[in-house]
Amino acid sequence: MNSQEFKSNLVTKRPRYANSRIPLLEALANKGARSSEYSQFGPIYELYIYAMMTGIKKKTRLPLPPRQLTSDFLEIGKWKRDSSLVDFLLMVIFTQTNDLSIDWNELEDMEEDQLNKVISDVITLIEEYANGGLEYLENLHKKGELENSHYLFIDLYKTS
Amino acid sequence: MASIINSISFKNFFNYYGEYEDTRYDFLEGVNIVVADNGAGKSKFFNAFLWLFYDQVLDSDDKKKKNVKDFAVKIISDKAKNETSIGDQVQTGIKIEYSTGRYKYQITKSFTATRISEKITDFDSWQITIDDMEVDKTDHILPKYKPVYDAEEKQKIINQLILPTLRQYSFFQGEEVDKMIDFSKKSSIEDAVRTLTNISKYEDIADIVEYIAEKAEKDLNKQTKSTSDHNDRLETALETKKELQEELTQETEKLSEFNALYEAAEQEKNDLEQNFANAEKRKELDDKVSYKNRLLKQVKEDYDSFLDGINNRFFDGNFSWISFGFEDSINDFKEKIQVFRQKRYEKKALLNAAENPNDYFTILPSDSPDAVTLQQMIDSEHCYVCNRPAKKGTEEHNYLLKLKNRPHENTNQKEFVKNNLEDFFGNLQLNAAPFLNKFDAIPTSVLRTREKELELKQRLDKLSSELKALKSQRKDILIAGTESEGTDNASTIINQYKGSIRRMENASSRIERLKDSIKDIKTKIVNTEKEITNLRPKDIPEGYTVNYEISKALVDATLKAKERVFDKMVSLLENHANEHFQSLIKYNDIKGGVLRFEKSPSGGISLDYIDDAGNEVSGASEGFQRMKKFAVVMSIISANTSQYNYPLLADAPLSAFGKAFNKGFFEAIPEVFPQSIILVKDLYDKDSEDKLTDLGQDLMKNDFIKTFYLNEVDEELSQIERTTKLERRK
Repeated sequence: MNSQEFKSNLVTKRPRYANSRIPLLEALANKGARSSEYSQFGPIYELYIYAMMTGIKKKTRLPLPPRQLTSDFLEIGKWKRDSSLVDFLLMVIFTQTNDLSIDWNELEDMEEDQLNKVISDVITLIEEYANGGLEYLENLHKKGELENSHYLFIDLYKTS
Repeated sequence: MASIINSISFKNFFNYYGEYEDTRYDFLEGVNIVVADNGAGKSKFFNAFLWLFYDQVLDSDDKKKKNVKDFAVKIISDKAKNETSIGDQVQTGIKIEYSTGRYKYQITKSFTATRISEKITDFDSWQITIDDMEVDKTDHILPKYKPVYDAEEKQKIINQLILPTLRQYSFFQGEEVDKMIDFSKKSSIEDAVRTLTNISKYEDIADIVEYIAEKAEKDLNKQTKSTSDHNDRLETALETKKELQEELTQETEKLSEFNALYEAAEQEKNDLEQNFANAEKRKELDDKVSYKNRLLKQVKEDYDSFLDGINNRFFDGNFSWISFGFEDSINDFKEKIQVFRQKRYEKKALLNAAENPNDYFTILPSDSPDAVTLQQMIDSEHCYVCNRPAKKGTEEHNYLLKLKNRPHENTNQKEFVKNNLEDFFGNLQLNAAPFLNKFDAIPTSVLRTREKELELKQRLDKLSSELKALKSQRKDILIAGTESEGTDNASTIINQYKGSIRRMENASSRIERLKDSIKDIKTKIVNTEKEITNLRPKDIPEGYTVNYEISKALVDATLKAKERVFDKMVSLLENHANEHFQSLIKYNDIKGGVLRFEKSPSGGISLDYIDDAGNEVSGASEGFQRMKKFAVVMSIISANTSQYNYPLLADAPLSAFGKAFNKGFFEAIPEVFPQSIILVKDLYDKDSEDKLTDLGQDLMKNDFIKTFYLNEVDEELSQIERTTKLERRK
């Protein structure tokens, strides 16, 4: 597997989220139907990225429920097309690989199925951090501590 | 002696919150000014007198007069309402004190409201009881008030403040002046003249003498017939006269019909003119409104999309908010990739050394020195690594060449790892560049975003309030005008206008012909009468003839006297009006015009503004139009008696007509009114230190201004907290 194939295998994956998060996603990200008491993200992937990065900042990984209780959405490569954003996110994710006990050099000597397992682990990492971030937002939402401001997300992010 | 208002005080009346003592204006003979911005109690003040005179107040929302009892809940101060608990009562009232030469009166009108449920602005939440009107009277010698109980006397005391027939000239609000005097309507000038003169007595006399003359003629004819020698000829002459008189009656009736037609057409023309002027003004405002609306929509869209876009700044490489706080991760990545590469090189070098041990007689790391340095070494025939010469053709020089050609050989090397991921990691770092260098700038970027939002918001607020002001101006025009929305289109108005002028012309020519024909008939009647006199026998008793002739002369004289009185009055009004007009426009640059009262064919009076050459001055500003009418109102008052005995109460008589008109107005009114209380906003200047315009400060210094009040309302407070504070400046 060369660099191109490796990246391609990675970015064609569709990360998943727990079905229980759907109401939160609808409240905080709702492209085309803006009617929420809160500031909103556009597409779901924006909220998802935000949640993942918040999860990383807060170091909260939260496993997803079994697959049948989850939903997927856009494949990673299609988040913000033609942008350097995904590369930046992958950079951040690959610095978290200590969590997965992956040595980059070891990757280069792995068999294909081993490497696919690593890709799958990276996706799981993304999902778990995103889930952790969503949990954090959900708690604030339930407690009514989400401020009704256009700067809600950046303010939260700065203090995370 | 003139009626002079000494004071007015309010109790919980609209924004005038508190007891009578808290909100009391004291006034003096002469000019009294109350300055207030919009919403600071001018119209409320005026409303107090509407209550006093008519038990009504003006609803500022729809500009209609409402009965105090039906409207009571809105009259009570919101603050007072709010402070009243359920089951408790609050009283609202006005108290006016005025004096005439000998007596002083105090009139109190009030009602009591009991709160019965929660929502204070609901009409159903209050039970209203109108309190008995209290009128007290004292004379100046014994200043002790005694109540007046008799209802008729109470009413008389109210009427005496300003007589009901004169209130239209002495108690008015802004644009009411325009409607008060319409000289194209016959009744308008007649009303004025009737109010001022004893012309109706002449009419009564004319009726009596006409009756006497008729009777005298009948008596004479009876005598004539019974004694005449040539009865037949006389009979024919009398018959002729009778026919002529019938014809005269018919023609006179026709004349009055055409007069009515003419007047109606003229009225329509005037209405349309006003309508047309309003339409123009409205169009102008509409254009402004629609421009501002477009602008507002644009800014609103900008603002909305700006707000929507705030979160985009997380993901946009130009802002890259998402990278905030990830500086350490990125440094970590850079370290990791370095270690990764180092390990790869070592691995590759080891592998190469194992496979081609003969290539490795140096421990220089692979790919070193680099191609550029190698070329320099070849060109200068010197090895920088060991600092020895490497002349062309020598083994050393050949080795340098061999090193330089090394990449070519490397490409043929087989992969030294199963999965070459160097590009994967390397490209991540390369591609992510926009997100890697903004860590420090993000807090500033967030701050700028907030500033930009604030800027847009302020722009939006400014536009909204401008738009609101324009719309309220437009609403004022709609209410002031007489048009109905249906006939709004310009061509309809123009056609109607042309039609009314055509009808006026038609009626006018018929009127002329009828007048000629009437004159003709009258001549015939006179000649017939002469013939009748000749045919009369000489022996009828002289008394009959004399009686008849005198009574006929009397009818003539009375009608002429009436006409003369009317004309004299009109010319007197014209003189007075011009005097007042000149002093009203004293400070305006445009001068030289005079007012002329012209008789229209139907007997009405039109008011023209003529320049020195006798041409009509057209297109005079609204300010001039208003001043014309004021001049006429003042003339009606000053032409009447040597002294007018009632105060002038005017709310915003000159709104927005400019400084010069205001100044002229304040100086001219004492010529006619012994006391005037003028409510104005034009002298208010929010930004000035003492809240007055230059003219306001100027006027206050003048001796003829006797008292000067400034009303202020704290707009920062909610409506429920708001109260009008009055401050006496003079």
